[in-house]
Amino acid sequence: MAAKYTDFTLQELMAVAAAREIKDGEKVIIGTGLPLLGAFLAQKTHAPNMVAIYESGAIDCKPLVTPFSVADSVLAPGSAMQGGLIEGLGIVHAGELDVGFLGGAQVDRYGNLNTHVIGDYRKPKVRFAGSGGSNDIGAGCKRTIIMMLHQKQRFPEKVDFVTTPGYFRGGNERERMGFYGDGPSVVVSTLGILRFHPETKEMYLQSYHPGIKIETIKANTGWELMIADDVTETEPPTLEQIRLLRDELDPKGVFLGKK
Amino acid sequence: MKTSKVMTAKEAVSKFIGDGMTIGVGGFFHAISYVITHEIIRQQKLHLTICQPSFNEHADQMIGAGCVDRIVSSYVWMEVFGPLHCFRRAMEKGIPHKIEMEDYTNFAVMARYLAGALGIPYIPINSMKGSDMMNYSAWMGENKVKLVQDPFGSGKEYAAVPALTPDIGYFHVQRADEEGNCQMWGIWGDAPWSMRACKQVIVSCEEIVSRDIIGRDPNRTILPGYKVVAVVEAPFGAHPKHTQGYYDVDRDFIFKYIRESQTPEGWQKFMDEWVYGVEDREGYLKKYVDTYGMKQFLGLKARDISSSSVNYGF
Repeated sequence: MAAKYTDFTLQELMAVAAAREIKDGEKVIIGTGLPLLGAFLAQKTHAPNMVAIYESGAIDCKPLVTPFSVADSVLAPGSAMQGGLIEGLGIVHAGELDVGFLGGAQVDRYGNLNTHVIGDYRKPKVRFAGSGGSNDIGAGCKRTIIMMLHQKQRFPEKVDFVTTPGYFRGGNERERMGFYGDGPSVVVSTLGILRFHPETKEMYLQSYHPGIKIETIKANTGWELMIADDVTETEPPTLEQIRLLRDELDPKGVFLGKK
Repeated sequence: MKTSKVMTAKEAVSKFIGDGMTIGVGGFFHAISYVITHEIIRQQKLHLTICQPSFNEHADQMIGAGCVDRIVSSYVWMEVFGPLHCFRRAMEKGIPHKIEMEDYTNFAVMARYLAGALGIPYIPINSMKGSDMMNYSAWMGENKVKLVQDPFGSGKEYAAVPALTPDIGYFHVQRADEEGNCQMWGIWGDAPWSMRACKQVIVSCEEIVSRDIIGRDPNRTILPGYKVVAVVEAPFGAHPKHTQGYYDVDRDFIFKYIRESQTPEGWQKFMDEWVYGVEDREGYLKKYVDTYGMKQFLGLKARDISSSSVNYGF
């Protein structure tokens, strides 16, 4: 019976990596897709006291089925509180939350994120959604977890537009802005897990996903990527984590892909 | 007995929404008033400035129809469903015409509404600082956002965003009475602050109830009626979005719109069928049932998860 959970996909590996970043008792603002699966996986395993918050105003939600959207109607029944954007994002803005999830079209060497445009803002080659709550989450949450598709054009030396500041150009530049949030702590990419140097704030590779070569990751990064001295393979998911993801959190394969 | 404000969507839009107005659109993915949105499109209102913290396909349809010149928002997209093609065509290629957007954050738009609702000129916020949203603006120029020092001497800097007070707002709620007292539950989204900031409000609702029903649970009232100028009864008035306790989101229909709107021709065909080609919301629902069958339509209806009632006694 357990044998059916021994294989895992990249999406499952990333959801598990996200889950590992969350500590028990933390207040977490959750988006859709893999962050959502990661957060609820954490709650079902090592972080039962995690408080799940949605910017749509659902606080400490206990959805009966996995929500599809940040404003899914499954969020309200069972929540400790249901309000609106001022309730959901107001507490982010006040610096009361521990963890937020971010993603985007581009992330650069110092964790700055772009969800606005590729090219010139005034004459965009491609226009994306905009900030949404991304900038609010980046400014207010104590730390952020960035999840990214790892491709060279998505990991440029410098983003085309700073939607959500990371560490600006490194060092103590972020501290001087006086944000409540300390900035991104990790990037969970499709190729590996990256963190930020404590002083220079430059992104470095901490682990590569099973089957991925470090050279491939370097070739898909738009600057000379630093590699941790103790770089290692990303820890694979446990059988139980895979079972929870497939059978309980995403049985229809909405986020993990149809089976 | 106060005068009833009940009217059709057609009457409400023709009477209260004019070309060139700034409009506060209510809702956050949940409870978007499609009944009013489609009427604005059918009546070809022009040169509108539309405001909402996060916009979805309803904005896309108004942009494609050429109703919109300006957007105040933080987000025009549809989550994991994908991009909105009219928005992108307008921003990237000026189709059907060039539009402008003042880019804020979700919270920043709320702060602008909050300032508007409270009658103060601006609110200082922690968001936006250091981002390129501080460096670029559209028609508002330097009045989009300003960096200000805390006047109380903390030495901290904030992004001050100006009050937003649209000429008129519209939103969708579960129930309202004839005077326009609105009750809403589930995800409030930008309500109540967005609607409180508007000078006038059109409300669409699933049901019109008596003033007595409103008074039995006044804590659930999200907007008192004095600002409301029109009450439009429209069951399934937010479809393809959801309205808590009434019906769920129609994901297949949203995917269908996003798929078909990939080309201007596909978009036009969708709109001819579902907006221009129907008389009103009743016609739209009839078309839905004719196309997809009663079983699928009723499949959208919400299950019963009712709350307990509380004692307001004294």
